[in-house]
Amino acid sequence: MAGYGVAAVAAVLVLYPVFFLFQAALDVGDPQVRPPTAYGFDNFNGIFQYPQILLNTLTVSVAATVMALVFGFVMAWILTRTNVPGRHLFEQLMAVPYYLTPLLGALAWSLLGSPESGFINQIWRALGGTGHLIDINTAYGIAWVMALFEGSVAFVMIAAVMKSMDPALEEASQIIGASRLRTMLRITLPLVIPGVLGAAIFVFAEMLGSFAAALVLGTPNRYYVITTAIYQLVQQYPPKIQVAAAMGVSLFAVMFFMLFLYRRIVMAGSYVTITGKAFRPRVADVGPLRYLLLGVCVLYLLAAVGLPLVTLLYASLQKIAVAFPTAENWTLDNFRVAMTMNAVRSALTNSLLLGFGTATIGVVLMGLLAWLIYRSRLPGSGLIEYVVMFPQAVPRLVFAFGLMWAWVVFPIPIYGTLWLLLLAYLTVFLPLGVRTIAGVMLQIDKSLEECAQMCGAPWAFRVRTVTIPLLMPGLIAAWLLLFIASIRELGASILLMGPHSKVITPSIVESWFGTSSELTAALALIQTLVVAIAMIVLVAVTRRVGAHPVD
Amino acid sequence: MPASLPEPPASSSPSKPHIEVDRLELYYGSVPAVRGVSFNVLPGEQLTLLGPSGCGKTTTLRAIAGLEQPTAGEIRIDGVTVYSAEQRINMRAEKRGLSMVFQSYAIWPHMSVFENVAYGLRVRRTGAAEIAERVHQALDMVQMRSFASRRAAQLSGGQQQRVALARAFVFSPSVLLFDEPLSNLDAKLRADMRIELRELQHRLGITSVYVTHDLEEALAMSDRIVVMRDGLIEQTGTPDEIYRLPNSAFVADFVGSANLIRGRHRADLDTDGLTALETPAGHIVYGMAYGRLVGAELVVSVRTVHLRISAEPPAAVQNVWRVPVQQTVFQGDFTQVHLGWGPQHLIARCAAMEPLAAGREVYITVEPRHVVVLGA
Repeated sequence: MAGYGVAAVAAVLVLYPVFFLFQAALDVGDPQVRPPTAYGFDNFNGIFQYPQILLNTLTVSVAATVMALVFGFVMAWILTRTNVPGRHLFEQLMAVPYYLTPLLGALAWSLLGSPESGFINQIWRALGGTGHLIDINTAYGIAWVMALFEGSVAFVMIAAVMKSMDPALEEASQIIGASRLRTMLRITLPLVIPGVLGAAIFVFAEMLGSFAAALVLGTPNRYYVITTAIYQLVQQYPPKIQVAAAMGVSLFAVMFFMLFLYRRIVMAGSYVTITGKAFRPRVADVGPLRYLLLGVCVLYLLAAVGLPLVTLLYASLQKIAVAFPTAENWTLDNFRVAMTMNAVRSALTNSLLLGFGTATIGVVLMGLLAWLIYRSRLPGSGLIEYVVMFPQAVPRLVFAFGLMWAWVVFPIPIYGTLWLLLLAYLTVFLPLGVRTIAGVMLQIDKSLEECAQMCGAPWAFRVRTVTIPLLMPGLIAAWLLLFIASIRELGASILLMGPHSKVITPSIVESWFGTSSELTAALALIQTLVVAIAMIVLVAVTRRVGAHPVD
Repeated sequence: MPASLPEPPASSSPSKPHIEVDRLELYYGSVPAVRGVSFNVLPGEQLTLLGPSGCGKTTTLRAIAGLEQPTAGEIRIDGVTVYSAEQRINMRAEKRGLSMVFQSYAIWPHMSVFENVAYGLRVRRTGAAEIAERVHQALDMVQMRSFASRRAAQLSGGQQQRVALARAFVFSPSVLLFDEPLSNLDAKLRADMRIELRELQHRLGITSVYVTHDLEEALAMSDRIVVMRDGLIEQTGTPDEIYRLPNSAFVADFVGSANLIRGRHRADLDTDGLTALETPAGHIVYGMAYGRLVGAELVVSVRTVHLRISAEPPAAVQNVWRVPVQQTVFQGDFTQVHLGWGPQHLIARCAAMEPLAAGREVYITVEPRHVVVLGA
């Protein structure tokens, strides 16, 4: 019974805002009056008044997906199938781009590649070039930044497929007398294609819903994709709530379909991942070529991590960010201002507060949900899983839009307070937390709990003495991941924070558009430092899990 | 050997069954796992549920434990109904006062050996001094006392098995349940543990239900065996009965290897309590019905170890045939000989024997008492 209570909380968190999102999308009455006076599908026709936005979204998403897949595939092949030096270290480093966030990348690459003031273009002109070498404020610029970060997601997915492939399958082909090339074309490629296709669809869905890069790089040029358009329609005066909602619903529908397709492909098409058995992949000796491949790895990590961080660090230490440093231009002022400005300090405090709150409440809530879904054999646990995983298919901005609309009319006045942000975080991070905890929970043999039961221990005693101690590494990892995710959150926060409940990431965006890029760089680095500390603890914890066999 | 059983626990009278499983059914959705199973376990008895994987033996055990909820039927322990579909009773596992040894051992990796064993006593709020005493006593019984402070991760499979055992009996449960406890051990250790387990069970005098797919284990350890197949009971009996007088082709084949011979009953040839059968190839086989009903069409079972091979004609007059050797397979402790016998072939297992050349003619014979007429 208590189980259904927890499930009901999750259902309300997820479905209440979704209901209001749909209500607004179907509201064709007077936009000033709530509840709606008339329903219809006219808002969806409104979307087609913006054909350019749909085209932009498609251009950016396709370009970014293709690039991310190329990055992911090449890196996965190099790091799992060749004897490139230091591949174990590189494999670990491949996770870093994902934690740096597209916002950070967009800020840094804007400093590097904007047509006039971008460092790369300044250097280009100093070397005698004319005009600009690269322009980051274009569709392909946005796609480039997104692809650098999503590339690490594609890498993880494709590398997993390559790793789980039984090398005997290829060896069998060679024994029969097939050449290396033939084996590659007839055996290797068909085996990995379903995995790559799955990654492509997953990445494409993520790209459709991504927001930060397009916001930073596109909006100054009035180049909108669907997420930034929704944001614009909500923020402008007068707001076009209904059209924005219709766009949100459409985007959600497309993403939902994509993720459905992804699941189908992963479940049905992949011959290699279903065994779940890890093989030692066959590593090809590529001879001196491996130094070239090493260069490729270094280049990718430089573009995705090294260059952005160095650029921000450099800019944050300059009075005015130009490519060529002079002695009197260096300063620590930006950090001093960042740490003393009231608005920044309260945003940072709020973010930390929310991080702790979300992570702590989230671990309890999501731990219970994971247990309900994967362990309790409660009737309807499959349905609970669907509800909990639902936010995965909804871009956070769209979800926040539904939340905003939902809680404005809620009798308890939490709109514009941190409480609303807390609710939003707990909702949008449900899939993240539940999946992390479930990952550890499913590793724990069921009989460990059953045995406690057979020893006569009642439920609460069992959970306290067996379940929680065994789950502890997973719970700590989930806490840290939720904390990190909260500190970096942009899409939901930017719509939901009020003047007295500012948080750090949207404040960075505000600073970028409102004050100086040097101060923004300092802010972004401070945020990165907080995330990095949490990351280091996380790595330390997961290391210990690896040393502590839970079977 | 039921005679050597120790006195059953005083709590239950010897005449009354300790565990009663009555028309038990368990469906996973629409998939049947157990389709109506009834048996009793007497106090102090070791009963084994034997069968191939998927026969419902583990499910039955887990239903007794309270870890699976049956669909229909009744389970009583010490006369107390712990599950009844009709009365809507389903006592929780932790309230049933049983204990269980799991296939995976389920040793908690975050506790020491001592803490693992002490768990059931802590649940029962036993005093610290008594816990220490009883845990050490239990660890002594499984020869693991010196490992008390070790962590589970530092134990070998056999040691984990012993700890799991100590943990299961330390709090004096009324019944011990075993879910294939030896299946993860290597063959040699398994044989040793089999003897140890049997001895321990006798010393504790505790009622136990044991699940295995391993025939030798079942024969060596049980007072009684329940052979299961597809969620139903195929045969119940002592190890000797099950082995000597299988009542179906399935049991004959599963419990040891057997030659199954089909044919027509030749009542006109029945003599001296022997039943005669004529195979389609015209061989006359004499066997014994052991009180079973004999129909017009018969199936008899001949264990492969009961077929004797000789180069010279044997003294017997019944069940003697001259047959060609098709193949001999050397298998270490025994040699398996495939023999042509009309359209079908017979398999004989002989202890250490010179290999026979294929195509060579030999005599085979089997005593009629080893030719068992199977139940209809």
